[in-house]
Amino acid sequence: MAASSSTGRVLTLCKQFQNVFRISSATNARQRAVSSAKCQTSLLRGTSPIVTPSWSNPISSAGQYRALHTTISRRGLEDFFDSPENWGEANVKSGAPWTAKQLRTKSNEDLHKLWYVLLKEKNMLLTLEQEAKRQRVQMPSPERLRKVERSMIRLETVVKERENALRLLQTGQEKGRPGAWRRNIFGYVYWYRFKEYAIPWYMNRRYKRKRFYTPKFVEPHIRLRIENYLRERARNENLKKRRLAKLQERFPQIKAPAS
Amino acid sequence: MPVTRLLYPLYQLGNPQLRIFRPSWFLTLVRPGKEQPQDTVQFRIPMEMTKYDVKNYLEKIYNVPVGVVRTRIQFGSNKKRNHLNQKVKQPDYKVAYVQLALGQTFTFPDIFPEKERAPAEGSMEEMQEKFMEDEKQRQKLDPRRGGVTEWFGL
Repeated sequence: MAASSSTGRVLTLCKQFQNVFRISSATNARQRAVSSAKCQTSLLRGTSPIVTPSWSNPISSAGQYRALHTTISRRGLEDFFDSPENWGEANVKSGAPWTAKQLRTKSNEDLHKLWYVLLKEKNMLLTLEQEAKRQRVQMPSPERLRKVERSMIRLETVVKERENALRLLQTGQEKGRPGAWRRNIFGYVYWYRFKEYAIPWYMNRRYKRKRFYTPKFVEPHIRLRIENYLRERARNENLKKRRLAKLQERFPQIKAPAS
Repeated sequence: MPVTRLLYPLYQLGNPQLRIFRPSWFLTLVRPGKEQPQDTVQFRIPMEMTKYDVKNYLEKIYNVPVGVVRTRIQFGSNKKRNHLNQKVKQPDYKVAYVQLALGQTFTFPDIFPEKERAPAEGSMEEMQEKFMEDEKQRQKLDPRRGGVTEWFGL
Protein backbone atom coordinates (compact mmCIF):
# COMPACT_ATOMS: atom_id res chain seq x y z
CA MET A 1 0.00 0.00 0.00
CA ALA A 2 2.69 2.39 1.06
CA ALA A 3 4.88 1.39 -1.88
CA SER A 4 2.07 1.92 -4.38
CA SER A 5 1.31 5.38 -2.95
CA SER A 6 4.96 6.37 -3.13
CA THR A 7 5.16 5.24 -6.77
CA GLY A 8 2.08 7.32 -7.51
CA ARG A 9 3.67 10.33 -5.89
CA VAL A 10 6.83 9.82 -7.87
CA LEU A 11 4.88 9.52 -11.10
CA THR A 12 2.94 12.71 -10.49
CA LEU A 13 6.12 14.53 -9.57
CA CYS A 14 7.76 13.37 -12.75
CA LYS A 15 4.79 14.53 -14.74
CA GLN A 16 5.18 17.94 -13.19
CA PHE A 17 8.81 18.03 -14.14
CA GLN A 18 7.80 17.09 -17.64
CA ASN A 19 5.44 20.02 -17.72
CA VAL A 20 8.21 22.55 -17.54
CA PHE A 21 11.15 20.72 -18.97
CA ARG A 22 11.58 18.52 -21.90
CA ILE A 23 12.08 14.98 -20.87
CA SER A 24 15.43 13.74 -21.89
CA SER A 25 15.44 10.01 -21.74
CA ALA A 26 18.46 7.93 -21.07
CA THR A 27 19.23 7.51 -24.76
CA ASN A 28 19.13 11.26 -25.26
CA ALA A 29 21.48 11.63 -22.38
CA ARG A 30 23.98 9.34 -24.05
CA GLN A 31 23.67 11.27 -27.30
CA ARG A 32 24.18 14.51 -25.49
CA ALA A 33 27.29 13.24 -23.80
CA VAL A 34 28.72 12.25 -27.18
CA SER A 35 27.87 15.55 -28.83
CA SER A 36 29.15 17.53 -25.89
CA ALA A 37 32.47 15.79 -26.23
CA LYS A 38 32.39 16.96 -29.83
CA CYS A 39 32.07 20.60 -28.88
CA GLN A 40 35.23 20.37 -26.81
CA THR A 41 33.74 21.12 -23.45
CA SER A 42 35.82 18.73 -21.50
CA LEU A 43 34.51 19.37 -18.07
CA LEU A 44 34.95 17.55 -14.90
CA ARG A 45 32.60 14.67 -14.36
CA GLY A 46 32.42 12.64 -11.22
CA THR A 47 34.96 13.52 -8.59
CA SER A 48 34.35 17.01 -7.39
CA PRO A 49 35.61 18.22 -4.05
CA ILE A 50 32.65 20.54 -3.64
CA VAL A 51 29.14 19.71 -2.57
CA THR A 52 27.15 17.78 -5.12
CA PRO A 53 24.32 19.82 -6.60
CA SER A 54 21.38 19.82 -4.30
CA TRP A 55 18.95 18.73 -6.98
CA SER A 56 20.93 15.77 -8.25
CA ASN A 57 18.35 13.53 -6.66
CA PRO A 58 14.99 15.19 -7.18
CA ILE A 59 13.05 12.64 -5.16
CA SER A 60 14.89 11.90 -2.00
CA SER A 61 12.32 9.45 -0.74
CA ALA A 62 12.62 7.32 -3.83
CA GLY A 63 16.25 6.44 -4.28
CA GLN A 64 15.36 3.24 -6.10
CA TYR A 65 13.56 5.02 -8.96
CA ARG A 66 16.69 6.37 -10.54
CA ALA A 67 15.48 5.40 -14.02
CA LEU A 68 12.90 8.20 -13.81
CA HIS A 69 15.46 10.99 -13.72
CA THR A 70 14.64 13.77 -16.09
CA THR A 71 18.02 15.47 -16.31
CA ILE A 72 21.59 14.40 -15.96
CA SER A 73 22.82 15.44 -12.61
CA ARG A 74 26.27 16.69 -13.60
CA ARG A 75 26.80 18.59 -16.78
CA GLY A 76 28.85 21.53 -15.59
CA LEU A 77 28.99 24.48 -17.91
CA GLU A 78 26.89 22.68 -20.52
CA ASP A 79 23.95 23.50 -18.28
CA PHE A 80 24.20 27.01 -19.67
CA PHE A 81 23.12 25.69 -23.05
CA ASP A 82 20.07 23.94 -24.29
CA SER A 83 20.33 20.27 -25.12
CA PRO A 84 22.13 19.91 -28.46
CA GLU A 85 19.13 18.45 -30.28
CA ASN A 86 17.40 21.81 -29.79
CA TRP A 87 20.21 23.83 -31.31
CA GLY A 88 19.18 25.61 -34.45
CA GLU A 89 15.49 24.78 -34.06
CA ALA A 90 13.03 27.56 -34.82
CA ASN A 91 10.87 26.81 -31.80
CA VAL A 92 11.26 24.54 -28.84
CA LYS A 93 8.32 22.96 -27.12
CA SER A 94 7.72 23.77 -23.47
CA GLY A 95 4.96 23.19 -20.98
CA ALA A 96 2.97 25.52 -18.81
CA PRO A 97 4.54 27.36 -15.87
CA TRP A 98 4.02 25.97 -12.40
CA THR A 99 0.94 27.23 -10.69
CA ALA A 100 0.90 28.22 -7.03
CA LYS A 101 -1.67 25.52 -6.42
CA GLN A 102 0.67 22.85 -7.74
CA LEU A 103 3.56 24.24 -5.77
CA ARG A 104 1.61 24.27 -2.51
CA THR A 105 1.38 20.49 -2.63
CA LYS A 106 5.17 20.13 -2.64
CA SER A 107 7.42 19.81 0.35
CA ASN A 108 9.94 22.45 1.28
CA GLU A 109 12.77 20.29 0.06
CA ASP A 110 11.17 19.78 -3.33
CA LEU A 111 10.56 23.50 -3.68
CA HIS A 112 14.16 24.19 -2.86
CA LYS A 113 15.32 21.75 -5.51
CA LEU A 114 12.88 23.11 -8.03
CA TRP A 115 14.25 26.60 -7.42
CA TYR A 116 17.67 25.50 -8.60
CA VAL A 117 16.19 23.73 -11.60
CA LEU A 118 14.35 26.90 -12.58
CA LEU A 119 17.44 29.00 -11.91
CA LYS A 120 19.49 26.87 -14.28
CA GLU A 121 16.77 26.97 -16.88
CA LYS A 122 16.62 30.74 -16.67
CA ASN A 123 20.38 31.06 -16.93
CA MET A 124 20.26 28.86 -20.00
CA LEU A 125 17.54 31.00 -21.56
CA LEU A 126 19.37 34.23 -20.80
CA THR A 127 22.49 32.83 -22.42
CA LEU A 128 20.48 31.81 -25.44
CA GLU A 129 18.84 35.22 -25.66
CA GLN A 130 22.16 37.04 -25.46
CA GLU A 131 23.72 34.83 -28.11
CA ALA A 132 20.70 35.32 -30.36
CA LYS A 133 21.00 39.08 -29.93
CA ARG A 134 24.66 38.92 -30.75
CA GLN A 135 24.19 36.87 -33.90
CA ARG A 136 21.10 38.91 -34.84
CA VAL A 137 18.82 35.92 -35.16
CA GLN A 138 15.52 35.27 -33.51
CA MET A 139 15.58 33.55 -30.17
CA PRO A 140 13.78 30.21 -30.35
CA SER A 141 10.62 30.30 -28.22
CA PRO A 142 11.25 33.42 -26.15
CA GLU A 143 8.04 32.81 -24.19
CA ARG A 144 9.95 30.27 -22.12
CA LEU A 145 11.68 33.07 -20.23
CA ARG A 146 8.37 34.49 -19.11
CA LYS A 147 7.17 31.07 -18.06
CA VAL A 148 10.23 30.40 -15.94
CA GLU A 149 9.97 33.81 -14.34
CA ARG A 150 6.36 33.24 -13.45
CA SER A 151 7.10 29.88 -11.91
CA MET A 152 9.89 31.43 -9.87
CA ILE A 153 7.69 34.23 -8.60
CA ARG A 154 5.01 31.73 -7.62
CA LEU A 155 7.51 29.53 -5.89
CA GLU A 156 8.73 32.54 -3.99
CA THR A 157 5.23 33.42 -2.87
CA VAL A 158 4.60 29.89 -1.70
CA VAL A 159 7.82 29.84 0.29
CA LYS A 160 6.96 33.20 1.78
CA GLU A 161 3.53 31.99 2.78
CA ARG A 162 5.04 29.05 4.61
CA GLU A 163 7.61 31.22 6.33
CA ASN A 164 4.91 33.63 7.44
CA ALA A 165 2.73 30.87 8.79
CA LEU A 166 5.60 29.33 10.68
CA ARG A 167 6.70 32.65 12.12
CA LEU A 168 3.21 33.52 13.23
CA LEU A 169 2.89 30.18 14.92
CA GLN A 170 6.23 30.22 16.63
CA THR A 171 6.77 33.85 17.55
CA GLY A 172 3.59 35.70 16.66
CA GLN A 173 5.61 38.30 14.75
CA GLU A 174 3.88 39.57 11.65
CA LYS A 175 7.04 40.72 9.93
CA GLY A 176 10.15 38.76 9.25
CA ARG A 177 12.40 41.69 9.90
CA PRO A 178 11.82 43.36 13.26
CA GLY A 179 11.21 47.07 13.37
CA ALA A 180 9.42 49.86 15.17
CA TRP A 181 7.47 53.01 14.45
CA ARG A 182 9.84 55.91 14.88
CA ARG A 183 9.58 59.62 14.58
CA ASN A 184 12.09 61.58 12.58
CA ILE A 185 13.23 65.12 13.14
CA PHE A 186 10.48 66.62 10.98
CA GLY A 187 7.75 64.94 12.94
CA TYR A 188 6.97 62.22 10.44
CA VAL A 189 6.31 58.73 11.79
CA TYR A 190 7.73 55.88 9.76
CA TRP A 191 8.48 52.20 10.05
CA TYR A 192 12.12 51.80 11.02
CA ARG A 193 13.54 48.39 10.17
CA PHE A 194 16.19 47.11 12.53
CA LYS A 195 19.45 45.86 11.17
CA GLU A 196 22.57 44.22 12.44
CA TYR A 197 25.48 46.24 13.73
CA ALA A 198 28.93 45.06 14.61
CA ILE A 199 29.11 47.20 17.75
CA PRO A 200 26.51 48.22 20.33
CA TRP A 201 24.56 51.36 19.66
CA TYR A 202 26.12 53.47 22.40
CA MET A 203 29.54 52.93 20.83
CA ASN A 204 28.31 53.54 17.30
CA ARG A 205 28.89 57.20 16.63
CA ARG A 206 27.25 57.18 13.28
CA TYR A 207 24.12 55.63 14.71
CA LYS A 208 24.08 58.10 17.57
CA ARG A 209 24.16 60.94 15.07
CA LYS A 210 20.74 59.92 13.82
CA ARG A 211 17.86 61.67 15.54
CA PHE A 212 14.72 59.69 16.14
CA TYR A 213 12.84 62.45 17.94
CA THR A 214 11.15 65.71 17.07
CA PRO A 215 12.42 68.85 18.75
CA LYS A 216 10.00 71.22 20.43
CA PHE A 217 10.54 74.01 17.94
CA VAL A 218 9.30 71.84 15.07
CA GLU A 219 5.82 71.64 16.58
CA PRO A 220 4.50 74.87 15.04
CA HIS A 221 5.69 73.63 11.67
CA ILE A 222 3.87 70.37 12.13
CA ARG A 223 0.75 72.38 12.93
CA LEU A 224 1.28 74.42 9.80
CA ARG A 225 1.73 71.29 7.77
CA ILE A 226 -1.50 69.83 9.04
CA GLU A 227 -3.26 73.11 8.41
CA ASN A 228 -1.95 73.23 4.88
CA TYR A 229 -3.11 69.73 4.25
CA LEU A 230 -6.58 70.41 5.61
CA ARG A 231 -6.90 73.58 3.56
CA GLU A 232 -5.86 71.78 0.41
CA ARG A 233 -8.38 69.04 1.06
CA ALA A 234 -11.20 71.47 1.78
CA ARG A 235 -10.32 73.45 -1.30
CA ASN A 236 -10.45 70.41 -3.53
CA GLU A 237 -13.76 69.36 -2.08
CA ASN A 238 -15.23 72.82 -2.57
CA LEU A 239 -14.01 72.91 -6.13
CA LYS A 240 -15.63 69.60 -6.84
CA LYS A 241 -18.88 70.69 -5.27
CA ARG A 242 -18.94 73.94 -7.20
CA ARG A 243 -18.22 72.19 -10.47
CA LEU A 244 -21.07 69.80 -9.84
CA ALA A 245 -23.45 72.64 -9.00
CA LYS A 246 -22.55 74.39 -12.21
CA LEU A 247 -23.20 71.24 -14.18
CA GLN A 248 -26.52 70.79 -12.42
CA GLU A 249 -27.48 74.27 -13.40
CA ARG A 250 -26.68 73.71 -17.05
CA PHE A 251 -28.03 70.18 -17.33
CA PRO A 252 -30.82 69.81 -14.78
CA GLN A 253 -31.55 66.19 -15.70
CA ILE A 254 -27.95 65.05 -14.92
CA LYS A 255 -27.55 62.33 -12.35
CA ALA A 256 -25.52 63.19 -9.27
CA PRO A 257 -22.45 60.92 -9.09
CA ALA A 258 -22.50 58.56 -6.20
CA SER A 259 -19.65 59.34 -3.84
CA MET B 1 12.04 39.93 -11.51
CA PRO B 2 10.83 41.12 -8.12
CA VAL B 3 11.88 38.45 -5.72
CA THR B 4 12.28 39.00 -1.99
CA ARG B 5 15.15 41.16 -0.96
CA LEU B 6 17.33 38.97 1.15
CA LEU B 7 19.05 40.42 4.16
CA TYR B 8 22.38 38.74 4.53
CA PRO B 9 23.87 38.43 8.00
CA LEU B 10 26.49 40.95 8.90
CA TYR B 11 29.82 39.83 7.52
CA GLN B 12 32.73 39.81 9.86
CA LEU B 13 36.21 38.74 8.98
CA GLY B 14 36.44 34.98 8.83
CA ASN B 15 32.74 34.32 8.61
CA PRO B 16 31.52 32.17 5.75
CA GLN B 17 29.77 33.82 2.83
CA LEU B 18 26.26 32.48 3.22
CA ARG B 19 24.94 33.83 0.01
CA ILE B 20 24.12 30.83 -2.14
CA PHE B 21 20.86 29.92 -0.44
CA ARG B 22 18.04 30.11 -2.98
CA PRO B 23 19.75 32.97 -4.79
CA SER B 24 17.98 35.17 -7.29
CA TRP B 25 21.09 35.88 -9.27
CA PHE B 26 21.18 35.02 -12.92
CA LEU B 27 24.35 34.58 -14.89
CA THR B 28 24.62 34.86 -18.63
CA LEU B 29 27.38 32.99 -20.33
CA VAL B 30 28.51 35.12 -23.25
CA ARG B 31 30.81 34.57 -26.16
CA PRO B 32 33.92 36.62 -25.42
CA GLY B 33 34.31 39.62 -27.66
CA LYS B 34 38.07 39.59 -27.47
CA GLU B 35 39.82 36.29 -27.66
CA GLN B 36 40.37 34.74 -24.26
CA PRO B 37 42.61 31.93 -23.09
CA GLN B 38 41.25 28.42 -23.50
CA ASP B 39 40.31 28.03 -19.85
CA THR B 40 38.52 31.34 -19.43
CA VAL B 41 34.77 31.67 -19.46
CA GLN B 42 33.07 35.04 -19.67
CA PHE B 43 29.86 35.79 -17.80
CA ARG B 44 27.58 38.73 -17.35
CA ILE B 45 26.63 38.86 -13.71
CA PRO B 46 24.41 41.07 -11.58
CA MET B 47 26.07 44.16 -10.16
CA GLU B 48 25.81 43.14 -6.52
CA MET B 49 27.56 39.82 -7.05
CA THR B 50 31.17 39.59 -5.93
CA LYS B 51 34.02 37.39 -7.07
CA TYR B 52 33.46 35.07 -4.15
CA ASP B 53 29.79 34.85 -4.95
CA VAL B 54 30.57 33.87 -8.53
CA LYS B 55 32.97 31.23 -7.34
CA ASN B 56 30.52 29.80 -4.83
CA TYR B 57 27.67 29.97 -7.31
CA LEU B 58 29.50 28.04 -9.99
CA GLU B 59 30.99 25.53 -7.61
CA LYS B 60 27.87 24.82 -5.60
CA ILE B 61 25.16 25.03 -8.23
CA TYR B 62 26.92 24.07 -11.43
CA ASN B 63 29.63 21.90 -9.95
CA VAL B 64 32.31 23.57 -12.01
CA PRO B 65 35.77 23.82 -10.45
CA VAL B 66 36.73 27.47 -10.45
CA GLY B 67 40.27 28.74 -10.24
CA VAL B 68 40.30 32.52 -10.34
CA VAL B 69 37.54 35.05 -10.95
CA ARG B 70 38.20 38.52 -12.28
CA THR B 71 35.48 41.10 -12.63
CA ARG B 72 35.03 44.47 -14.19
CA ILE B 73 32.10 46.79 -14.72
CA GLN B 74 31.13 47.57 -18.27
CA PHE B 75 29.90 51.10 -18.81
CA GLY B 76 26.76 51.07 -20.89
CA SER B 77 26.89 53.71 -23.58
CA ASN B 78 24.96 56.93 -23.02
CA LYS B 79 25.77 58.36 -26.42
CA LYS B 80 22.47 57.55 -28.02
CA ARG B 81 19.83 60.28 -28.21
CA ASN B 82 16.11 59.84 -28.38
CA HIS B 83 13.65 61.85 -30.45
CA LEU B 84 13.66 64.63 -27.83
CA ASN B 85 17.46 64.81 -28.09
CA GLN B 86 17.83 63.47 -24.56
CA LYS B 87 20.62 61.08 -23.73
CA VAL B 88 19.58 57.45 -23.48
CA LYS B 89 21.62 55.28 -21.18
CA GLN B 90 22.22 51.62 -21.82
CA PRO B 91 22.37 49.78 -18.51
CA ASP B 92 25.75 48.98 -17.03
CA TYR B 93 26.61 45.42 -16.28
CA LYS B 94 29.33 43.48 -14.54
CA VAL B 95 31.51 41.09 -16.45
CA ALA B 96 33.24 38.15 -14.80
CA TYR B 97 36.11 36.24 -16.31
CA VAL B 98 36.24 32.84 -14.71
CA GLN B 99 39.34 30.74 -15.06
CA LEU B 100 38.58 27.07 -14.68
CA ALA B 101 40.68 24.91 -12.44
CA LEU B 102 42.11 21.45 -13.05
CA GLY B 103 43.23 22.22 -16.59
CA GLN B 104 39.78 22.34 -18.06
CA THR B 105 39.00 24.15 -21.25
CA PHE B 106 35.87 25.68 -22.61
CA THR B 107 34.95 26.97 -26.03
CA PHE B 108 31.64 28.58 -26.73
CA PRO B 109 29.63 26.18 -28.90
CA ASP B 110 27.76 27.22 -32.00
CA ILE B 111 24.19 27.10 -30.75
CA PHE B 112 22.62 28.34 -33.95
CA PRO B 113 23.89 25.88 -36.54
CA GLU B 114 22.44 26.04 -40.05
CA LYS B 115 19.82 23.35 -40.29
CA GLU B 116 18.13 22.05 -43.44
CA ARG B 117 14.58 23.19 -43.15
CA ALA B 118 12.03 22.06 -45.71
CA PRO B 119 9.21 24.61 -45.92
CA ALA B 120 5.80 23.25 -45.09
CA GLU B 121 3.63 21.86 -47.90
CA GLY B 122 1.40 24.52 -49.44
CA SER B 123 2.84 27.34 -47.38
CA MET B 124 3.63 30.85 -48.57
CA GLU B 125 7.35 30.22 -48.43
CA GLU B 126 7.18 27.22 -50.69
CA MET B 127 5.13 29.05 -53.30
CA GLN B 128 7.55 31.94 -53.23
CA GLU B 129 10.48 29.63 -53.75
CA LYS B 130 8.80 27.92 -56.68
CA PHE B 131 7.97 31.25 -58.25
CA MET B 132 11.55 32.46 -57.88
CA GLU B 133 12.89 29.31 -59.53
CA ASP B 134 10.49 29.70 -62.42
CA GLU B 135 11.51 33.29 -62.94
CA LYS B 136 15.17 32.36 -62.94
CA GLN B 137 14.51 29.77 -65.62
CA ARG B 138 12.78 32.37 -67.73
CA GLN B 139 15.51 34.96 -67.36
CA LYS B 140 18.15 32.56 -68.68
CA LEU B 141 19.49 33.25 -72.17
CA ASP B 142 18.99 30.87 -75.08
CA PRO B 143 21.72 28.23 -74.74
CA ARG B 144 21.94 27.82 -78.53
CA ARG B 145 23.33 31.33 -78.89
CA GLY B 146 26.46 30.35 -77.03
CA GLY B 147 26.54 33.32 -74.67
CA VAL B 148 26.14 35.96 -77.38
CA THR B 149 24.05 38.89 -76.15
CA GLU B 150 20.46 39.34 -77.29
CA TRP B 151 20.89 42.61 -79.11
CA PHE B 152 23.69 41.23 -81.32
CA GLY B 153 22.66 39.48 -84.51
CA LEU B 154 20.36 39.70 -87.47
